Amino acid sequence: MKLKKVLVPAASLLLFFSLWEAYYWLLINNPLLLAPPSRVLTTFIELMTGCNPHFYMPLDMVYSLFHYAVGFGLALAVGLSLGLLIGWFRLADEFSYTIIELIRPIPPIAWIPIAILMLGLTHQAASFIIFIGAVFPIILNTKYGVASVEVKYLEAAMTLGATKTSTLIMKVVLPAALPSIMAGLRVASGVAWMCVVAAELFGVAPYGLGYQIEMARLYHAPELVIAYMFAIGVLGFFLDRIYKLIESKVLAWRTGFVLA
Amino acid sequence: MSLPNVILIIKGLRKVFEGSPPLVALENIDLDIYEGEFLCIVGPSGCGKTTLLRVIAGLEKPTDGEVLLRGRPILGPGPDRVMVFQEHTLFPWRTVLGNVMFGLELKGIPKDKALEAANSYIRLVGLEGFEHMYPHELSGGMRQRVAIARALACDPEMLLMDEPFSALDAQSRNYMQRELMEIWSKTGKTVVFVTHNVEEAIYLGDRIAVLTYRPARLRDVISIELPRPRDRLGQEFIELRAKVLGILKEEMEKAINQKLKPETPRRGKVKP
Repeated sequence: MKLKKVLVPAASLLLFFSLWEAYYWLLINNPLLLAPPSRVLTTFIELMTGCNPHFYMPLDMVYSLFHYAVGFGLALAVGLSLGLLIGWFRLADEFSYTIIELIRPIPPIAWIPIAILMLGLTHQAASFIIFIGAVFPIILNTKYGVASVEVKYLEAAMTLGATKTSTLIMKVVLPAALPSIMAGLRVASGVAWMCVVAAELFGVAPYGLGYQIEMARLYHAPELVIAYMFAIGVLGFFLDRIYKLIESKVLAWRTGFVLA
Repeated sequence: MSLPNVILIIKGLRKVFEGSPPLVALENIDLDIYEGEFLCIVGPSGCGKTTLLRVIAGLEKPTDGEVLLRGRPILGPGPDRVMVFQEHTLFPWRTVLGNVMFGLELKGIPKDKALEAANSYIRLVGLEGFEHMYPHELSGGMRQRVAIARALACDPEMLLMDEPFSALDAQSRNYMQRELMEIWSKTGKTVVFVTHNVEEAIYLGDRIAVLTYRPARLRDVISIELPRPRDRLGQEFIELRAKVLGILKEEMEKAINQKLKPETPRRGKVKP
């Protein structure tokens, strides 16, 4: 059983990379247009170990994770409190509904010009773009999680002595809404990580995975472009794993209660 | 002969739910509840038994009249009147122990004392060994035991129970009734127990308050002097059962006749 769990994904990866390798050598065979996975891999190792004189990938990773952390952290603070507020108070929901639904469909990329004009080519501008991408899934999932807490739990808590609103929120509403909130955080983290590329493309700093993709394109070096794409994929994968781990820890009570 | 202390006074209670047309759920209810007694409330389904209990719990406000707990009006829900609900209301994110600890945490009792108290209530309802399980891992009967332990842990003046065993199968229900009698005799709490099951009411109650169909008025209060544990097949038990069922049947028939009668003309509109 365990062997199968490793073998099946391994087989799919092997197939994917062989097809790609074959596609390059048989149909493209031009180092200015595309790179085969074998070349991407050696480039990736060079980048990570500092063998390339112009690019040093670990530094880019740090910059990107930094942008991500600031933007996502901000989205977390704003999204959770706003979601809680509009999920709990009907008036706050009615007050903010239209404005949120008007701003939400604007893609984060569309905010780039305003971010540059207002904040300049700064880390703040990059984090702002990431914040915009991440904040809405957090707001909405928190709101729906809070608004759909069953009245019976609130009433039970009230007769047990939870008479203050703050107590009800801390002891009942938040734990009851946590599954929805966690789902929102995971989606938001994914969106935030995707926004890192967009946020760095316009050159807020001389480092960052998204920035280097654009540099590599200017150099006409597809193996660099793909190596950076690969780095974004790998880090995104691990970020999601981390959230999944946190989720399974804080939602341990749901084991066997729902399909995980 | 010493008179029992009255713990709760219900005076001229009326409850109307707004709507069109407004629903009069309770009408002119006068009832005294004595300290330490086990009072059952029965009545036709949908008559307002639960509403009465919710008013005592403070989850509904009276439209008219008053409800006084030891002379003080009830202003809202509080841990002096804990409710055990019909549906499963254990917090699914807390273990058995966590659920029983809930009220103790709110009271700010130090952790070690709270743990000790919670464990003793878990023992009282016979759930030692299940402390660290989550509600969804328990059977229906076990969940209601936890709910009872959770309520008792608040050390309430009154335990309000809203058809707590109605979702259980007949065997577990009888078993839980026996257990509840034992728990009640050990703790001496005042219990108000709503049920539509006459046998359950006679098995459990010191007194049975019988409500009429909508709006619910107090039709009768029947004292039950049978010694405990009660024999469900005993002569007197069966006679009492027949008597209460007779009252309920009468009320049910009135209700049906009311429904079958042509609409009484209202608001000037007359149907041909």
